[in-house]
Amino acid sequence: MRRKLLWIATLGLVASSASAQLPGLRKYTPADRQRQQQQNDQQKAEQSALTGADALRADFAAQSGATTVYFGSDSVILAPQARAFLTAQAAWLRRHPDVPVRVEGYGDSGDTRDHALAVGARRAEATRDFLMLMGVPAAQVSMTSWGKERPGLGRAVTVLVQ
Amino acid sequence: MKLRFLPLMLLGIAGAAAAQPGPPAATVIAVPPLTSPDGGTKGNQMLQVGWDATQLIVADLKQTAEVMPLTPKRDDYYSYPEVTAPSFSKWRSTGAKVLVTGFVQSRSDGRLTVGCYVYDLEKGRELARKGFVIGPSDWRRAAHKCSGLAYTAITGAPGMFDTEIAYVAQTGIGDARIRRIAIMDSDGYSHRYVTGAGGIVVTPRLAPKGGQLAYVSFAQGEPNVRVLDLGSGHERPLLSGPAMTFAPRYSPDGSRIAFSMMLGSNSDIYVVGSSGGPPQRLTTSPGVDTDPSFSPDGGKIVFESDRSGSQQLYVMNADGTGERRISFGAGWYASPVWSPDGQWIAFTHRGADGRRIGILKADGTGERLLTTGPGDEGPAWAASSREILFQRANTVGRSGLYEVALDGSEPRQMTIPQDGADPDWSGVMD
Repeated sequence: MRRKLLWIATLGLVASSASAQLPGLRKYTPADRQRQQQQNDQQKAEQSALTGADALRADFAAQSGATTVYFGSDSVILAPQARAFLTAQAAWLRRHPDVPVRVEGYGDSGDTRDHALAVGARRAEATRDFLMLMGVPAAQVSMTSWGKERPGLGRAVTVLVQ
Repeated sequence: MKLRFLPLMLLGIAGAAAAQPGPPAATVIAVPPLTSPDGGTKGNQMLQVGWDATQLIVADLKQTAEVMPLTPKRDDYYSYPEVTAPSFSKWRSTGAKVLVTGFVQSRSDGRLTVGCYVYDLEKGRELARKGFVIGPSDWRRAAHKCSGLAYTAITGAPGMFDTEIAYVAQTGIGDARIRRIAIMDSDGYSHRYVTGAGGIVVTPRLAPKGGQLAYVSFAQGEPNVRVLDLGSGHERPLLSGPAMTFAPRYSPDGSRIAFSMMLGSNSDIYVVGSSGGPPQRLTTSPGVDTDPSFSPDGGKIVFESDRSGSQQLYVMNADGTGERRISFGAGWYASPVWSPDGQWIAFTHRGADGRRIGILKADGTGERLLTTGPGDEGPAWAASSREILFQRANTVGRSGLYEVALDGSEPRQMTIPQDGADPDWSGVMD
Protein backbone atom coordinates (compact mmCIF):
# COMPACT_ATOMS: atom_id res chain seq x y z
CA MET A 1 0.00 0.00 0.00
CA ARG A 2 2.72 2.35 1.01
CA ARG A 3 4.69 1.51 -2.11
CA LYS A 4 1.67 2.31 -4.22
CA LEU A 5 1.18 5.64 -2.49
CA LEU A 6 4.78 6.55 -3.08
CA TRP A 7 4.45 5.57 -6.70
CA ILE A 8 1.50 7.91 -7.09
CA ALA A 9 3.47 10.59 -5.34
CA THR A 10 6.34 10.10 -7.76
CA LEU A 11 4.08 10.41 -10.74
CA GLY A 12 2.76 13.62 -9.31
CA LEU A 13 6.22 15.01 -8.97
CA VAL A 14 7.22 14.18 -12.52
CA ALA A 15 4.10 15.87 -13.72
CA SER A 16 4.94 18.99 -11.75
CA SER A 17 7.29 21.78 -12.66
CA ALA A 18 11.03 21.45 -13.21
CA SER A 19 11.62 23.04 -9.84
CA ALA A 20 10.63 19.80 -8.13
CA GLN A 21 13.90 18.00 -7.47
CA LEU A 22 13.98 14.28 -7.88
CA PRO A 23 17.47 12.81 -7.73
CA GLY A 24 17.54 9.47 -9.46
CA LEU A 25 14.51 9.91 -11.63
CA ARG A 26 16.13 11.96 -14.34
CA LYS A 27 19.21 11.66 -16.39
CA TYR A 28 21.39 14.58 -15.40
CA THR A 29 23.60 16.41 -17.82
CA PRO A 30 26.76 18.00 -16.40
CA ALA A 31 25.06 21.37 -16.71
CA ASP A 32 22.12 20.06 -14.69
CA ARG A 33 24.46 18.78 -12.03
CA GLN A 34 26.18 22.10 -11.83
CA ARG A 35 22.87 23.92 -11.47
CA GLN A 36 21.79 21.38 -8.86
CA GLN A 37 24.99 21.92 -6.95
CA GLN A 38 24.50 25.67 -7.02
CA GLN A 39 20.94 25.32 -5.81
CA ASN A 40 21.95 23.03 -3.00
CA ASP A 41 24.71 25.41 -1.96
CA GLN A 42 22.30 28.30 -2.05
CA GLN A 43 19.76 26.40 0.03
CA LYS A 44 22.38 25.42 2.55
CA ALA A 45 23.52 29.02 2.80
CA GLU A 46 19.94 30.14 3.32
CA GLN A 47 19.31 27.45 5.88
CA SER A 48 22.43 28.28 7.81
CA ALA A 49 21.17 31.84 8.10
CA LEU A 50 17.84 30.65 9.45
CA THR A 51 17.10 28.75 12.60
CA GLY A 52 14.28 26.69 14.04
CA ALA A 53 10.85 27.15 12.48
CA ASP A 54 12.12 29.68 9.93
CA ALA A 55 14.65 27.16 8.59
CA LEU A 56 11.98 24.47 8.45
CA ARG A 57 9.61 26.78 6.59
CA ALA A 58 12.28 27.72 4.07
CA ASP A 59 13.17 24.08 3.49
CA PHE A 60 9.48 23.10 3.22
CA ALA A 61 8.87 25.83 0.64
CA ALA A 62 11.99 24.96 -1.35
CA GLN A 63 11.34 21.21 -1.39
CA SER A 64 7.60 21.50 -2.12
CA GLY A 65 7.83 24.00 -4.95
CA ALA A 66 4.87 25.98 -3.56
CA THR A 67 3.15 26.47 -0.23
CA THR A 68 0.06 27.93 -1.89
CA VAL A 69 -2.23 26.13 -4.30
CA TYR A 70 -4.96 27.81 -6.31
CA PHE A 71 -8.53 26.74 -7.02
CA GLY A 72 -10.85 27.67 -9.84
CA SER A 73 -13.59 30.22 -9.17
CA ASP A 74 -16.19 28.74 -6.79
CA SER A 75 -14.36 25.41 -7.03
CA VAL A 76 -13.17 23.12 -4.24
CA ILE A 77 -11.52 20.64 -6.65
CA LEU A 78 -7.72 20.28 -6.60
CA ALA A 79 -6.25 20.84 -10.05
CA PRO A 80 -3.38 18.58 -11.29
CA GLN A 81 -0.84 21.34 -10.65
CA ALA A 82 -2.13 21.74 -7.08
CA ARG A 83 -1.97 17.98 -6.50
CA ALA A 84 1.63 17.94 -7.68
CA PHE A 85 2.66 20.61 -5.18
CA LEU A 86 0.71 18.89 -2.38
CA THR A 87 2.34 15.56 -3.22
CA ALA A 88 5.72 17.18 -2.72
CA GLN A 89 4.48 18.77 0.50
CA ALA A 90 3.26 15.39 1.71
CA ALA A 91 6.65 13.81 0.98
CA TRP A 92 8.34 16.50 3.07
CA LEU A 93 5.81 16.12 5.87
CA ARG A 94 6.35 12.37 6.03
CA ARG A 95 10.05 13.04 6.46
CA HIS A 96 9.26 15.54 9.25
CA PRO A 97 6.49 13.82 11.26
CA ASP A 98 7.22 16.01 14.28
CA VAL A 99 6.47 19.28 12.43
CA PRO A 100 2.80 20.33 12.68
CA VAL A 101 1.33 22.29 9.79
CA ARG A 102 -1.83 24.27 9.27
CA VAL A 103 -3.89 24.41 6.09
CA GLU A 104 -5.56 27.79 5.61
CA GLY A 105 -8.38 28.04 3.10
CA TYR A 106 -9.48 31.23 1.36
CA GLY A 107 -12.73 32.07 -0.37
CA ASP A 108 -13.31 34.20 -3.46
CA SER A 109 -13.37 37.98 -2.95
CA GLY A 110 -16.47 38.28 -5.15
CA ASP A 111 -18.39 35.82 -2.98
CA THR A 112 -20.67 36.74 -0.07
CA ARG A 113 -19.03 36.68 3.35
CA ASP A 114 -20.36 33.49 4.92
CA HIS A 115 -20.35 31.41 1.74
CA ALA A 116 -16.73 32.47 1.22
CA LEU A 117 -15.93 31.25 4.75
CA ALA A 118 -17.48 27.87 4.03
CA VAL A 119 -15.79 27.57 0.63
CA GLY A 120 -12.42 28.43 2.25
CA ALA A 121 -13.05 25.70 4.81
CA ARG A 122 -13.95 23.21 2.06
CA ARG A 123 -10.73 24.07 0.19
CA ALA A 124 -8.74 23.55 3.39
CA GLU A 125 -10.53 20.23 3.94
CA ALA A 126 -9.86 19.07 0.35
CA THR A 127 -6.20 19.96 0.81
CA ARG A 128 -5.89 18.17 4.14
CA ASP A 129 -7.71 15.11 2.77
CA PHE A 130 -5.20 14.95 -0.08
CA LEU A 131 -2.24 15.24 2.29
CA MET A 132 -3.71 12.41 4.39
CA LEU A 133 -4.21 10.32 1.27
CA MET A 134 -0.52 10.87 0.62
CA GLY A 135 0.29 9.37 4.00
CA VAL A 136 0.47 12.41 6.28
CA PRO A 137 -1.03 11.65 9.72
CA ALA A 138 -4.24 13.59 10.45
CA ALA A 139 -2.85 14.78 13.77
CA GLN A 140 -0.02 16.59 11.97
CA VAL A 141 -2.39 18.83 10.00
CA SER A 142 -4.76 21.40 11.48
CA MET A 143 -6.82 23.75 9.37
CA THR A 144 -8.86 26.93 9.25
CA SER A 145 -10.64 29.21 6.82
CA TRP A 146 -10.15 32.94 6.36
CA GLY A 147 -13.03 33.25 3.92
CA LYS A 148 -12.54 36.56 2.13
CA GLU A 149 -11.31 38.33 5.28
CA ARG A 150 -7.64 38.49 4.30
CA PRO A 151 -7.43 39.89 0.81
CA GLY A 152 -4.61 39.37 -1.66
CA LEU A 153 -4.31 35.60 -1.73
CA GLY A 154 -7.47 34.93 -3.70
CA ARG A 155 -8.43 31.34 -4.20
CA ALA A 156 -5.62 29.77 -2.26
CA VAL A 157 -4.82 27.30 0.39
CA THR A 158 -1.57 27.82 2.21
CA VAL A 159 0.20 25.14 4.13
CA LEU A 160 2.35 26.63 6.84
CA VAL A 161 4.89 24.98 9.05
CA GLN A 162 3.98 26.10 12.54
CA MET B 1 -33.73 30.04 -28.70
CA LYS B 2 -33.97 29.87 -24.97
CA LEU B 3 -31.54 32.76 -24.63
CA ARG B 4 -33.57 34.94 -26.93
CA PHE B 5 -36.70 34.24 -25.04
CA LEU B 6 -35.25 35.30 -21.68
CA PRO B 7 -35.10 39.08 -22.24
CA LEU B 8 -38.74 39.03 -23.34
CA MET B 9 -39.71 37.33 -20.12
CA LEU B 10 -37.76 39.91 -18.13
CA LEU B 11 -39.48 42.73 -20.00
CA GLY B 12 -42.80 41.18 -19.12
CA ILE B 13 -41.91 41.19 -15.43
CA ALA B 14 -40.73 44.81 -15.57
CA GLY B 15 -43.94 45.83 -17.29
CA ALA B 16 -46.06 44.14 -14.65
CA ALA B 17 -44.15 45.93 -11.89
CA ALA B 18 -44.62 49.31 -13.56
CA ALA B 19 -48.36 48.75 -13.90
CA GLN B 20 -48.75 48.43 -10.13
CA PRO B 21 -49.90 51.60 -8.34
CA GLY B 22 -47.04 53.70 -6.97
CA PRO B 23 -46.58 54.44 -3.26
CA PRO B 24 -49.21 56.80 -1.80
CA ALA B 25 -48.19 60.43 -1.36
CA ALA B 26 -46.48 61.26 1.94
CA THR B 27 -48.70 62.34 4.84
CA VAL B 28 -47.99 65.95 5.87
CA ILE B 29 -47.51 66.29 9.62
CA ALA B 30 -47.20 69.41 11.81
CA VAL B 31 -44.78 69.16 14.75
CA PRO B 32 -44.90 72.50 16.62
CA PRO B 33 -42.42 72.92 19.51
CA LEU B 34 -43.21 70.79 22.58
CA THR B 35 -44.48 72.97 25.39
CA SER B 36 -44.03 72.84 29.19
CA PRO B 37 -46.31 73.34 32.18
CA ASP B 38 -43.33 74.64 34.19
CA GLY B 39 -42.79 78.37 34.79
CA GLY B 40 -39.79 80.62 35.33
CA THR B 41 -36.20 79.51 34.69
CA LYS B 42 -37.18 75.85 34.91
CA GLY B 43 -39.89 76.45 32.34
CA ASN B 44 -37.37 78.01 29.94
CA GLN B 45 -35.03 75.04 30.39
CA MET B 46 -37.88 72.61 29.68
CA LEU B 47 -38.92 74.61 26.61
CA GLN B 48 -35.33 74.35 25.35
CA VAL B 49 -35.35 70.55 25.83
CA GLY B 50 -38.75 70.52 24.10
CA TRP B 51 -37.36 72.47 21.13
CA ASP B 52 -34.38 70.12 20.78
CA ALA B 53 -36.73 67.13 20.96
CA THR B 54 -39.06 68.72 18.38
CA GLN B 55 -36.22 69.15 15.90
CA LEU B 56 -35.18 65.54 16.42
CA ILE B 57 -38.75 64.30 15.84
CA VAL B 58 -38.89 66.31 12.61
CA ALA B 59 -35.50 64.95 11.52
CA ASP B 60 -36.64 61.36 12.27
CA LEU B 61 -39.86 61.69 10.29
CA LYS B 62 -38.12 63.47 7.42
CA GLN B 63 -36.04 60.32 6.81
CA THR B 64 -39.13 58.30 5.97
CA ALA B 65 -40.84 57.99 2.61
CA GLU B 66 -44.36 57.98 4.13
CA VAL B 67 -44.36 61.07 6.38
CA MET B 68 -43.50 64.68 5.43
CA PRO B 69 -43.05 66.96 8.47
CA LEU B 70 -43.53 70.71 8.13
CA THR B 71 -40.52 72.75 9.23
CA PRO B 72 -41.19 73.67 12.89
CA LYS B 73 -41.24 77.35 13.88
CA ARG B 74 -40.00 78.19 17.33
CA ASP B 75 -42.68 80.87 17.88
CA ASP B 76 -45.53 78.42 17.20
CA TYR B 77 -46.13 78.31 20.95
CA TYR B 78 -49.13 76.57 22.43
CA SER B 79 -50.08 76.30 26.09
CA TYR B 80 -49.99 73.15 28.23
CA PRO B 81 -53.83 72.66 28.17
CA GLU B 82 -53.67 72.80 24.35
CA VAL B 83 -51.52 69.64 24.36
CA THR B 84 -54.67 67.59 24.91
CA ALA B 85 -57.08 70.08 23.34
CA PRO B 86 -55.38 71.44 20.22
CA SER B 87 -56.97 73.97 17.89
CA PHE B 88 -57.62 71.63 14.97
CA SER B 89 -58.69 74.35 12.52
CA LYS B 90 -55.48 76.33 13.14
CA TRP B 91 -53.22 73.38 12.30
CA ARG B 92 -55.45 72.20 9.47
CA SER B 93 -54.86 75.56 7.75
CA THR B 94 -51.15 74.74 7.47
CA GLY B 95 -52.01 71.90 5.12
CA ALA B 96 -51.13 69.22 7.63
CA LYS B 97 -53.20 66.07 8.00
CA VAL B 98 -51.67 64.97 11.29
CA LEU B 99 -50.48 66.91 14.35
CA VAL B 100 -48.02 65.98 17.08
CA THR B 101 -48.22 67.86 20.39
CA GLY B 102 -46.40 67.21 23.62
CA PHE B 103 -44.77 68.61 26.72
CA VAL B 104 -41.64 68.36 28.83
CA GLN B 105 -42.10 68.67 32.59
CA SER B 106 -39.45 68.65 35.31
CA ARG B 107 -39.96 66.32 38.26
CA SER B 108 -38.90 66.79 41.86
CA ASP B 109 -36.47 63.84 41.56
CA GLY B 110 -34.58 65.63 38.79
CA ARG B 111 -35.97 63.49 36.00
CA LEU B 112 -38.30 64.63 33.22
CA THR B 113 -41.78 63.64 32.14
CA VAL B 114 -42.27 63.76 28.38
CA GLY B 115 -45.76 63.47 26.91
CA CYS B 116 -46.48 62.87 23.24
CA TYR B 117 -49.87 63.04 21.46
CA VAL B 118 -50.83 62.37 17.83
CA TYR B 119 -54.01 63.76 16.24
CA ASP B 120 -55.89 63.23 12.99
CA LEU B 121 -56.61 66.84 11.97
CA GLU B 122 -59.28 65.99 9.40
CA LYS B 123 -61.36 63.93 11.81
CA GLY B 124 -60.39 66.02 14.80
CA ARG B 125 -59.57 63.07 17.00
CA GLU B 126 -56.64 61.63 18.91
CA LEU B 127 -54.76 58.74 17.23
CA ALA B 128 -52.22 57.85 19.92
CA ARG B 129 -50.56 59.07 23.10
CA LYS B 130 -47.59 58.04 25.19
CA GLY B 131 -45.75 59.34 28.27
CA PHE B 132 -42.20 58.67 29.41
CA VAL B 133 -40.26 59.39 32.59
CA ILE B 134 -36.61 59.74 31.70
CA GLY B 135 -33.25 60.93 32.98
CA PRO B 136 -32.47 64.51 31.87
CA SER B 137 -29.88 63.30 29.33
CA ASP B 138 -32.24 60.73 27.75
CA TRP B 139 -34.47 63.22 25.93
CA ARG B 140 -33.24 61.85 22.58
CA ARG B 141 -34.74 58.44 23.30
CA ALA B 142 -38.06 60.05 24.31
CA ALA B 143 -38.05 62.05 21.06
CA HIS B 144 -37.35 58.87 19.03
CA LYS B 145 -40.23 57.13 20.85
CA CYS B 146 -42.50 60.06 19.96
CA SER B 147 -41.39 59.87 16.31
CA GLY B 148 -42.19 56.15 16.35
CA LEU B 149 -45.62 56.81 17.87
CA ALA B 150 -46.50 59.26 15.08
CA TYR B 151 -45.05 57.03 12.34
CA THR B 152 -46.97 53.98 13.56
CA ALA B 153 -50.21 55.98 13.92
CA ILE B 154 -49.89 57.03 10.26
CA THR B 155 -48.48 53.91 8.58
CA GLY B 156 -49.39 51.06 10.92
CA ALA B 157 -45.75 49.92 10.78
CA PRO B 158 -43.35 50.05 13.73
CA GLY B 159 -41.01 53.06 13.67
CA MET B 160 -37.31 52.36 13.48
CA PHE B 161 -36.21 55.49 15.34
CA ASP B 162 -35.45 54.01 18.75
CA THR B 163 -33.31 51.21 17.36
CA GLU B 164 -29.63 50.37 17.27
CA ILE B 165 -27.28 49.47 14.44
CA ALA B 166 -24.29 47.19 14.89
CA TYR B 167 -21.58 46.97 12.23
CA VAL B 168 -17.90 46.23 11.69
CA ALA B 169 -15.93 49.49 11.77
CA GLN B 170 -12.75 49.32 9.68
CA THR B 171 -9.66 51.47 9.44
CA GLY B 172 -6.74 50.85 7.10
CA ILE B 173 -6.78 48.43 4.19
CA GLY B 174 -5.52 44.93 3.40
CA ASP B 175 -4.05 42.82 6.17
CA ALA B 176 -3.27 45.97 8.17
CA ARG B 177 -6.98 46.64 8.52
CA ILE B 178 -8.20 47.12 12.10
CA ARG B 179 -11.71 45.86 12.63
CA ARG B 180 -13.91 46.48 15.63
CA ILE B 181 -17.61 45.93 16.19
CA ALA B 182 -19.39 49.23 16.79
CA ILE B 183 -22.94 49.92 17.97
CA MET B 184 -24.79 53.19 17.53
CA ASP B 185 -28.31 54.57 17.69
CA SER B 186 -29.96 54.42 14.27
CA ASP B 187 -29.51 58.21 13.93
CA GLY B 188 -25.76 57.85 14.45
CA TYR B 189 -25.64 58.99 18.10
CA SER B 190 -24.11 57.06 21.04
CA HIS B 191 -21.48 55.49 18.76
CA ARG B 192 -19.31 53.05 20.73
CA TYR B 193 -16.95 50.12 20.13
CA VAL B 194 -17.75 46.83 21.84
CA THR B 195 -14.74 44.72 20.77
CA GLY B 196 -11.00 45.50 20.91
CA ALA B 197 -8.72 46.33 18.00
CA GLY B 198 -6.89 42.98 17.76
CA GLY B 199 -7.90 40.32 15.26
CA ILE B 200 -10.61 39.86 12.69
CA VAL B 201 -14.31 40.14 13.59
CA VAL B 202 -17.29 39.79 11.25
CA THR B 203 -21.10 39.58 11.19
CA PRO B 204 -22.35 41.21 14.43
CA ARG B 205 -25.98 40.22 15.09
CA LEU B 206 -27.98 42.06 17.75
CA ALA B 207 -30.48 40.22 19.91
CA PRO B 208 -33.96 41.41 18.84
CA LYS B 209 -34.46 43.73 21.81
CA GLY B 210 -30.80 44.61 22.27
CA GLY B 211 -28.72 43.69 25.31
CA GLN B 212 -26.85 40.84 23.64
CA LEU B 213 -24.70 40.51 20.55
CA ALA B 214 -23.57 37.40 18.65
CA TYR B 215 -20.62 37.77 16.28
CA VAL B 216 -17.78 35.84 14.67
CA SER B 217 -14.20 36.20 15.89
CA PHE B 218 -11.03 34.71 14.38
CA ALA B 219 -9.11 35.25 17.63
CA GLN B 220 -8.66 31.49 18.14
CA GLY B 221 -7.28 31.09 14.60
CA GLU B 222 -10.55 29.90 13.11
CA PRO B 223 -14.02 31.46 12.86
CA ASN B 224 -16.01 31.03 16.08
CA VAL B 225 -19.37 32.48 17.07
CA ARG B 226 -19.13 34.39 20.36
CA VAL B 227 -21.92 35.87 22.45
CA LEU B 228 -21.35 39.22 24.17
CA ASP B 229 -23.57 40.57 26.95
CA LEU B 230 -23.60 44.29 26.22
CA GLY B 231 -24.57 45.28 29.77
CA SER B 232 -21.90 43.40 31.70
CA GLY B 233 -19.31 43.02 28.92
CA HIS B 234 -19.18 39.29 29.73
CA GLU B 235 -18.37 37.18 26.68
CA ARG B 236 -18.44 33.45 25.91
CA PRO B 237 -18.08 31.14 22.90
CA LEU B 238 -21.44 29.92 21.54
CA LEU B 239 -20.21 26.30 21.64
CA SER B 240 -17.78 24.89 24.20
CA GLY B 241 -15.78 22.62 21.89
CA PRO B 242 -13.52 23.56 18.96
CA ALA B 243 -15.43 23.95 15.69
CA MET B 244 -15.64 26.39 12.80
CA THR B 245 -18.91 28.21 13.50
CA PHE B 246 -20.26 31.31 11.75
CA ALA B 247 -23.37 33.12 10.39
CA PRO B 248 -25.22 33.50 13.75
CA ARG B 249 -28.77 34.87 13.82
CA TYR B 250 -31.17 35.24 16.79
CA SER B 251 -34.71 33.91 16.79
CA PRO B 252 -37.32 36.71 17.03
CA ASP B 253 -37.89 36.03 20.76
CA GLY B 254 -34.14 35.96 21.39
CA SER B 255 -34.21 32.48 22.95
CA ARG B 256 -32.34 30.65 20.17
CA ILE B 257 -29.43 31.29 17.82
CA ALA B 258 -29.25 29.61 14.42
CA PHE B 259 -25.76 29.33 12.91
CA SER B 260 -23.53 27.36 10.52
CA MET B 261 -20.95 24.80 11.55
CA MET B 262 -18.35 23.01 9.44
CA LEU B 263 -18.25 19.25 9.87
CA GLY B 264 -15.61 17.94 7.50
CA SER B 265 -16.17 19.67 4.18
CA ASN B 266 -19.87 20.09 4.94
CA SER B 267 -21.40 23.31 6.29
CA ASP B 268 -24.78 22.71 7.89
CA ILE B 269 -27.26 24.78 9.88
CA TYR B 270 -27.69 24.23 13.60
CA VAL B 271 -29.69 25.89 16.34
CA VAL B 272 -28.76 26.32 20.02
CA GLY B 273 -30.26 28.11 23.03
CA SER B 274 -28.88 31.65 23.24
CA SER B 275 -27.85 30.96 26.85
CA GLY B 276 -26.13 27.67 25.94
CA GLY B 277 -26.98 23.97 25.73
CA PRO B 278 -26.41 21.30 23.11
CA PRO B 279 -26.79 22.34 19.46
CA GLN B 280 -29.41 20.69 17.28
CA ARG B 281 -28.61 19.97 13.63
CA LEU B 282 -31.24 21.20 11.15
CA THR B 283 -29.78 20.49 7.68
CA THR B 284 -27.84 17.47 6.43
CA SER B 285 -27.28 18.07 2.73
CA PRO B 286 -23.72 17.90 1.38
CA GLY B 287 -22.31 21.27 0.36
CA VAL B 288 -22.63 24.66 1.98
CA ASP B 289 -25.82 25.47 3.89
CA THR B 290 -25.44 28.83 5.64
CA ASP B 291 -26.89 32.23 6.55
CA PRO B 292 -30.06 31.09 8.37
CA SER B 293 -32.68 33.73 9.27
CA PHE B 294 -35.91 33.16 11.21
CA SER B 295 -39.39 34.19 10.10
CA PRO B 296 -40.90 36.78 12.51
CA ASP B 297 -43.12 34.12 14.15
CA GLY B 298 -40.04 31.93 14.72
CA GLY B 299 -41.67 28.99 12.93
CA LYS B 300 -39.59 28.97 9.76
CA ILE B 301 -35.99 29.55 8.69
CA VAL B 302 -34.78 30.85 5.33
CA PHE B 303 -31.19 29.94 4.38
CA GLU B 304 -28.86 29.61 1.40
CA SER B 305 -27.50 26.35 0.05
CA ASP B 306 -25.31 25.43 -2.94
CA ARG B 307 -26.66 21.84 -2.96
CA SER B 308 -28.05 22.40 -6.47
CA GLY B 309 -24.64 23.49 -7.77
CA SER B 310 -25.11 27.21 -7.17
CA GLN B 311 -26.19 29.24 -4.14
CA GLN B 312 -30.00 29.37 -3.90
CA LEU B 313 -32.51 30.25 -1.19
CA TYR B 314 -34.50 27.63 0.73
CA VAL B 315 -37.17 27.79 3.42
CA MET B 316 -37.66 25.10 6.07
CA ASN B 317 -39.58 24.69 9.31
CA ALA B 318 -37.59 25.78 12.38
CA ASP B 319 -37.11 22.09 13.31
CA GLY B 320 -35.41 21.36 9.98
CA THR B 321 -38.36 19.64 8.27
CA GLY B 322 -40.14 20.66 5.06
CA GLU B 323 -37.20 22.16 3.11
CA ARG B 324 -38.13 23.76 -0.19
CA ARG B 325 -36.27 25.91 -2.68
CA ILE B 326 -37.72 29.40 -3.30
CA SER B 327 -35.25 31.09 -5.72
CA PHE B 328 -35.01 29.99 -9.33
CA GLY B 329 -33.64 33.00 -11.23
CA ALA B 330 -30.30 33.26 -13.02
CA GLY B 331 -27.17 33.75 -10.92
CA TRP B 332 -26.58 33.06 -7.24
CA TYR B 333 -28.77 34.00 -4.26
CA ALA B 334 -27.14 34.49 -0.86
CA SER B 335 -27.44 35.92 2.68
CA PRO B 336 -31.25 35.90 2.97
CA VAL B 337 -32.91 37.88 5.78
CA TRP B 338 -36.61 37.71 6.65
CA SER B 339 -38.33 41.10 7.10
CA PRO B 340 -39.81 41.86 10.56
CA ASP B 341 -43.35 42.03 9.06
CA GLY B 342 -42.87 38.64 7.38
CA GLN B 343 -43.71 39.95 3.90
CA TRP B 344 -40.29 39.85 2.26
CA ILE B 345 -36.94 38.12 2.23
CA ALA B 346 -33.98 40.34 1.38
CA PHE B 347 -30.97 38.70 -0.27
CA THR B 348 -27.66 39.33 -2.02
CA HIS B 349 -27.68 38.42 -5.70
CA ARG B 350 -24.42 37.39 -7.35
CA GLY B 351 -24.29 37.57 -11.11
CA ALA B 352 -22.13 38.67 -14.01
CA ASP B 353 -22.87 42.29 -13.00
CA GLY B 354 -21.58 41.79 -9.45
CA ARG B 355 -23.40 41.67 -6.14
CA ARG B 356 -26.76 43.43 -5.70
CA ILE B 357 -29.46 43.59 -3.02
CA GLY B 358 -32.91 42.25 -3.83
CA ILE B 359 -36.15 41.08 -2.24
CA LEU B 360 -38.63 38.27 -2.88
CA LYS B 361 -41.58 36.77 -1.04
CA ALA B 362 -41.30 33.58 1.01
CA ASP B 363 -43.18 31.68 -1.71
CA GLY B 364 -40.56 32.79 -4.25
CA THR B 365 -42.73 35.33 -6.07
CA GLY B 366 -42.34 39.10 -6.41
CA GLU B 367 -38.59 39.06 -6.93
CA ARG B 368 -37.04 42.51 -7.40
CA LEU B 369 -33.46 43.82 -7.34
CA LEU B 370 -33.22 47.12 -5.41
CA THR B 371 -29.60 48.15 -5.97
CA THR B 372 -27.21 48.25 -8.91
CA GLY B 373 -24.10 46.92 -7.17
CA PRO B 374 -21.52 45.85 -8.07
CA GLY B 375 -20.14 45.48 -4.53
CA ASP B 376 -23.31 45.26 -2.41
CA GLU B 377 -24.00 42.58 0.20
CA GLY B 378 -25.25 41.86 3.71
CA PRO B 379 -28.83 43.23 3.78
CA ALA B 380 -30.37 44.08 7.18
CA TRP B 381 -33.98 45.17 7.68
CA ALA B 382 -35.21 48.28 9.46
CA ALA B 383 -37.84 47.50 12.11
CA SER B 384 -40.37 49.19 9.80
CA SER B 385 -39.73 46.51 7.10
CA ARG B 386 -39.64 49.40 4.61
CA GLU B 387 -35.92 50.03 4.41
CA ILE B 388 -32.85 47.85 4.06
CA LEU B 389 -29.37 48.66 5.29
CA PHE B 390 -26.49 47.01 3.44
CA GLN B 391 -22.75 47.11 2.80
CA ARG B 392 -21.38 48.59 -0.43
CA ALA B 393 -17.70 48.09 -1.28
CA ASN B 394 -15.83 50.14 -3.87
CA THR B 395 -13.16 48.89 -6.25
CA VAL B 396 -10.26 49.39 -3.82
CA GLY B 397 -11.94 47.34 -1.11
CA ARG B 398 -13.22 50.18 1.08
CA SER B 399 -16.83 49.90 2.13
CA GLY B 400 -19.64 51.94 3.62
CA LEU B 401 -23.16 51.42 4.92
CA TYR B 402 -26.08 52.36 2.67
CA GLU B 403 -29.86 52.46 3.11
CA VAL B 404 -32.34 51.70 0.37
CA ALA B 405 -36.16 51.94 0.50
CA LEU B 406 -38.29 49.17 -0.98
CA ASP B 407 -39.36 51.47 -3.82
CA GLY B 408 -35.82 51.02 -5.15
CA SER B 409 -34.93 54.73 -5.03
CA GLU B 410 -31.26 55.68 -4.99
CA PRO B 411 -29.53 54.30 -1.85
CA ARG B 412 -28.32 56.84 0.71
CA GLN B 413 -24.95 56.50 2.42
CA MET B 414 -25.10 56.46 6.20
CA THR B 415 -22.66 58.73 8.00
CA ILE B 416 -20.29 56.71 10.18
CA PRO B 417 -16.84 57.63 11.53
CA GLN B 418 -14.89 55.01 9.51
CA ASP B 419 -15.44 52.45 6.81
CA GLY B 420 -18.23 50.05 7.70
CA ALA B 421 -19.30 46.51 6.84
CA ASP B 422 -21.77 43.81 7.93
CA PRO B 423 -24.58 46.00 9.28
CA ASP B 424 -27.31 44.66 11.53
CA TRP B 425 -30.38 46.62 12.64
CA SER B 426 -32.13 45.88 15.93
CA GLY B 427 -35.85 45.75 16.57
CA VAL B 428 -37.51 48.53 18.58
CA MET B 429 -36.00 48.78 22.08
CA ASP B 430 -38.17 48.24 25.14
